[in-house]
Amino acid sequence: MAEEKKIKRKKFDGEEVEIVGETYEEGVPDKGDNWRSKMENREQMLRYLKAGERYWFSDDWYGSERRKTPA
Amino acid sequence: MPDEKKTKKEEIPRSVDPASLEVLAECTDLQPIGTSWDRLKKQHPQCGFGLKGLCCRHCSMGPCRVDASKEKLKYGVCGVDSDTVAARHFVRMIAAGAAAHSDHGRGVAETFLAAAKGEAKDYKIKDQQKLYGLAMDFGVEIGDRAVEDIAIEVGEKSLGIFGEQHGPIPFLKRAPLKRQALWKEHNMEPRGVDREIVECMHRTHMGVDQDPENLMMQGNRAALADGWGGSMLATELQDIMFGTPQPILGECNLGVLKDDEVNVVIHGHEPTLSEMVMVVCQSPEMIAKAKAVGAKGINLGGLCCSANEILMRHGVANIGNFLQQELALATGAVDVMTVDVQCIMSSLAQIASCFHTKFITTNYRAKIKGAQHIQFEEHDAENIARQIVQMGIDNYKNRGVTKIPKAKCNMIAGFSHETINYLLGGVYRSSYKPLNENIINGRIRGIAGVVGCNNPKVTHDKDHIALVKELIANNVIVLQTGCSALACAKEGLMLPEAASQFAGPGLAEVCETVGIPPVLHMGSCVDNSRILMAASAVVKEGGLGDDICDLPAVGAAPEWMSEKAISIGQYFVASGVYTLLGTTFPTLGAEGFTDFLFNKHEKLTGGMWGFEPDPMVMARKMIEAMDGKRRALGLDKGKERVLFDMAMRRELDAG
Ligand code: SF4
Repeated sequence: MAEEKKIKRKKFDGEEVEIVGETYEEGVPDKGDNWRSKMENREQMLRYLKAGERYWFSDDWYGSERRKTPA
Repeated sequence: MPDEKKTKKEEIPRSVDPASLEVLAECTDLQPIGTSWDRLKKQHPQCGFGLKGLCCRHCSMGPCRVDASKEKLKYGVCGVDSDTVAARHFVRMIAAGAAAHSDHGRGVAETFLAAAKGEAKDYKIKDQQKLYGLAMDFGVEIGDRAVEDIAIEVGEKSLGIFGEQHGPIPFLKRAPLKRQALWKEHNMEPRGVDREIVECMHRTHMGVDQDPENLMMQGNRAALADGWGGSMLATELQDIMFGTPQPILGECNLGVLKDDEVNVVIHGHEPTLSEMVMVVCQSPEMIAKAKAVGAKGINLGGLCCSANEILMRHGVANIGNFLQQELALATGAVDVMTVDVQCIMSSLAQIASCFHTKFITTNYRAKIKGAQHIQFEEHDAENIARQIVQMGIDNYKNRGVTKIPKAKCNMIAGFSHETINYLLGGVYRSSYKPLNENIINGRIRGIAGVVGCNNPKVTHDKDHIALVKELIANNVIVLQTGCSALACAKEGLMLPEAASQFAGPGLAEVCETVGIPPVLHMGSCVDNSRILMAASAVVKEGGLGDDICDLPAVGAAPEWMSEKAISIGQYFVASGVYTLLGTTFPTLGAEGFTDFLFNKHEKLTGGMWGFEPDPMVMARKMIEAMDGKRRALGLDKGKERVLFDMAMRRELDAG
């Protein structure tokens, strides 16, 4: 794994701290990140909804936030 | 309570935006109508009763000026007191704002249903995944059914929600369970927004509801029917038809207008027309036509929320926010401007007539004297869009001298709540957990939603930018929509590098690790519903309480002007969020009612209003509120920044 870039920043009290610097590539992207196209068919889309967007679409989860109407 | 009068100055700078100032310096020849700044000056002094919410003209025994502090004016002719006058006025503002968002949502639902049925051939289902999510919300069977069948049923159910007479609207189920229980306990669960708005109008009619707190119960219901109903439906259905926003690069400010291309400008709110205009502007056939008249191409730009809609989905250039609509015309470079609904100044037709610009209204709900009207029909969308773009191309040759400022700025838009979830964990680990963890460990102090309009009563963009810079410097991540988002975009705050330039070390570290700006563009004004969803996800993720009112999260609209801002603010307050307005607050003359909104309301919903015209003091109030929530959650162990008060700041300035 590439080494993390560290940069120095001043905290509000003036103390200098080292923090992780930017991890993105330099320059300007020529196209957007079309992440939603990664789910290609209905099965994948539903699976993502139930897992990735589990806060609303999980069958029997999320913790105390259990969905009342089953998906 | 801050005194609004003390903040008024005779002459304040009109804008902090160099592009706007450049055009303002040049446009001295827009008489007799001038700009909004000129007209505001002519309106001074404005009616003191109106400013404080103490003027009533709900019946012909009035108009009455009702002021508790003046013996003679304590009661209106009907016997009403100042608190009830202000409350009725406030509830009517909520109703008007909710109506604007929700009628927009209804229009989208109608187009959606027509598209699903194949009756609006130019529109498609672009985001099937989001359609399935909505189907689950509405209990629509998915199985192996054709996408169109699911969409028709979702479209019909969506339209039905607007007129829902009895049960609570379905999206309330998206809120944290504790919030749902609170709404139920207070009988605050809204029915369809149509019904809630009608009830607002009934109850604020002369001689009906005369208890300010009881009136606000209805105000809360109507606002919730907007935020978790009409607005949320607009957002969801637009995403299904046009795509869920994902990070995308765009440009903003008046400098995006081009001297050597046909400038087509769309202004307003509904993306149904602007999406089609964009498709047409990109068609090789129309580009060839533009070249045939001597232009290098077609340059499409947007203003206000029309701009936000196509910016966040396609990266289309953004000319500016609310107070820049007249300035865009004053550059003399706009060949055609088309408008639909909301936030469109009446002056535009007259200003356009000072130049060669064709000015077109497109919605039967919003005609303007002096404009050419071309009714937009979703069944013939592309043809109508082509007609409009063609008018711009034909008009290019009539252009006179242009004064396009150079200033423009790159920005990243497209942070829907789904995209934030994805960015924090990827496809396989999408989660709000990293955000929650960084709030818990103190790198991020809290979340602020900074939204709303511009208002010529305060220096254009100044308060948005000052507030947001102060918040991010204090490690508060900022979520933005509408004209407020555009103000900060012009300042470069919506670029990843803004994290290292402007954010406190904790927030900067998180932003640089994830690769996001410290200020996230979440969309147009109806997309404030995305902020409700993000807040609900943060609660549901866990570790930060079990209701929205437990979160270190605060809302603000520092330069607000429209009734929509009141409806938005009220649905945040009703959802448990402390929400501050800048510039002015419409009930300040009614002490009892204002005290209810600013204090007692918190006992009801966990959220309350506040007013603060100074953006630095506003930031301090917001951060103090977040720190209070952190303390309540037991997260106050970390070292906190000493907040500078005004005296300390003045000392620094003097130094
Ligand atoms: S409703 Fe009452 S306060 Fe309002 S105008 Fe009529 S008499 Fe005056």
